[in-house]
Amino acid sequence: MALLEVRNLTKRWRKDQLALDDVSFDLRQGEILGLLGHNGAGKSTVLGITLGMVRPDGGEVRIAGNSVQHERSRALSHVGAIYEAAHFYDYLTGWQNLRVLCSLSGWWDETEARRILKLVNLGERANHKTKTYSHGMRQRLALAQALLPMPKCLLLDEPTDGLDPEGIREFREFVMKLRSEFGMTILINSHLLGEVELMCDRCVILKQGRKMYEGPVPSQEKSKSAFILQTRDLAKAREVISRAAAMMDPVTNIVSVPAHAVGHEMLKLLVDAGVRVDSWQPHKPTLEEFYLGMTGA
Amino acid sequence: MILFFRQWQGELLKLFARRRTYIGFGAFLGLEIVILIIFRLKGVERIFERMISRQGQAFEQYYSALTLAQIILGLSVVLLGAIYLALVAGDIVAKEGEDGHYRLLLVRPISRVRLLFIKYLTCIGYTFALVQFITWSAFVLGVVLKGWGGGFFVMIPEIGLLTFYDWVPGLQHFALASVFLSLSMTTISSIAFFLSCFPIKPAAATIGALSYILIDRILRETGFMEDYDHFLLSKHIVSWARLLIENPPWPIIIRDYTALMAVNLSLFVLGAAAFESRDLKS
Repeated sequence: MALLEVRNLTKRWRKDQLALDDVSFDLRQGEILGLLGHNGAGKSTVLGITLGMVRPDGGEVRIAGNSVQHERSRALSHVGAIYEAAHFYDYLTGWQNLRVLCSLSGWWDETEARRILKLVNLGERANHKTKTYSHGMRQRLALAQALLPMPKCLLLDEPTDGLDPEGIREFREFVMKLRSEFGMTILINSHLLGEVELMCDRCVILKQGRKMYEGPVPSQEKSKSAFILQTRDLAKAREVISRAAAMMDPVTNIVSVPAHAVGHEMLKLLVDAGVRVDSWQPHKPTLEEFYLGMTGA
Repeated sequence: MILFFRQWQGELLKLFARRRTYIGFGAFLGLEIVILIIFRLKGVERIFERMISRQGQAFEQYYSALTLAQIILGLSVVLLGAIYLALVAGDIVAKEGEDGHYRLLLVRPISRVRLLFIKYLTCIGYTFALVQFITWSAFVLGVVLKGWGGGFFVMIPEIGLLTFYDWVPGLQHFALASVFLSLSMTTISSIAFFLSCFPIKPAAATIGALSYILIDRILRETGFMEDYDHFLLSKHIVSWARLLIENPPWPIIIRDYTALMAVNLSLFVLGAAAFESRDLKS
């Protein structure tokens, strides 16, 4: 069941600048979805519309069945979010910042706030002014505010931006924990393909405001259409492969089998034709390869 | 209702936890002291002595803490007070946008209009706090210099007022006038607040509000707008001084404050509409 439904979103910044063109996708209950795309692809605009910060020219976002565009408060009561860079009130402490923000949700529970601060490793610095916080600490405070009160759905916009490798790993582990322990549904908008690959179940790829792909993270799927061939009879193999309407990359020796064909049938054709096959293994494309192929970069 | 007050408390915490909020309070205290020193050094007291004596009254009796406080109030609030009020009200919406705080605030389940209403109430609260601070700090300084008691000499040429009170009725008129002065000044805050709802820099909202008030005042004082002066805000803003008349002309006061409150309400509604239609994205 979809917790968040994005339907036919269209947005123009100016008459000639199309930011989103009929973008639709679902975020299913309990999954982690990665929203990918180059700079200016429309990822933040999608998130902005989802949070009611940006008004779409067409389309709608529904969270737990409530339209963000028509019942914003009700829809957002299910959501915690980090939208773009989190700028806290520098002259207030972390604790005061959380208090001010939570009051806008009509909620405050000191015990829960302390628990979440401990969860994000900020328990001891909560009473310090946020101007004394490092970037990593601000990100953790941003995560804490998104989790107060505990939402059903977490929307994260470039959450690892500016974090060091340890910080990124810590963040990844935390996100995975949120899903495994609290069953949280999470949407992550990120540039870091490696992180999306490690965290997300599915991904949506945007290019120039259009959705190019929505589906499982490619590297997590066992490939059925590409194989790496190792053989000493390359010329002969190429001939057989092209006769079967398949393709072979001359550099990587990756054989792409047409959608209707099956890998073992291609192998049989090669062997029957007398090609000495040293190795024939399914090829698992990385998310980066898939993404670059999809966006044509 | 509890939720609303909790949200307002958060907004007040944001405002009063900032050092710059107190600049206005400090500046006015400094200005009041400077005015009193100048009065002493430059012989301004002698001018008042002549004015009071000319009316057949005793200078020692009527050059009191209340009279001094009233003079300071008249000299400082409308112009310098306007600057600080426009500064804070111009900041309250626009600065949050500039600093990117809306990305944290408006991802919460709160409507923009409600958030703006809380901010507007905070602005109004600040206006009252600042004007009352100026009023009573001037009074306290006056008491320190001239002691408790005496009379109250009021002269406001703008509304053709020249009158003398005993201490208690004088204090009552002074206190009531200060409340109406606070109310008058909310219009200046409202103009800055309205401008800050647009996607502009906080300084632009402040300068815009001050420019409007100054132009309005200049137009009134030059006399070109004599037939249309009911369209000028400064005509209504000055109505607080009518509370210092022995029998205040209530119909005129009510008319003026109805006009000012209508302007405030219109500015809030228009500002909220502008803010509501904005896309908040960097």
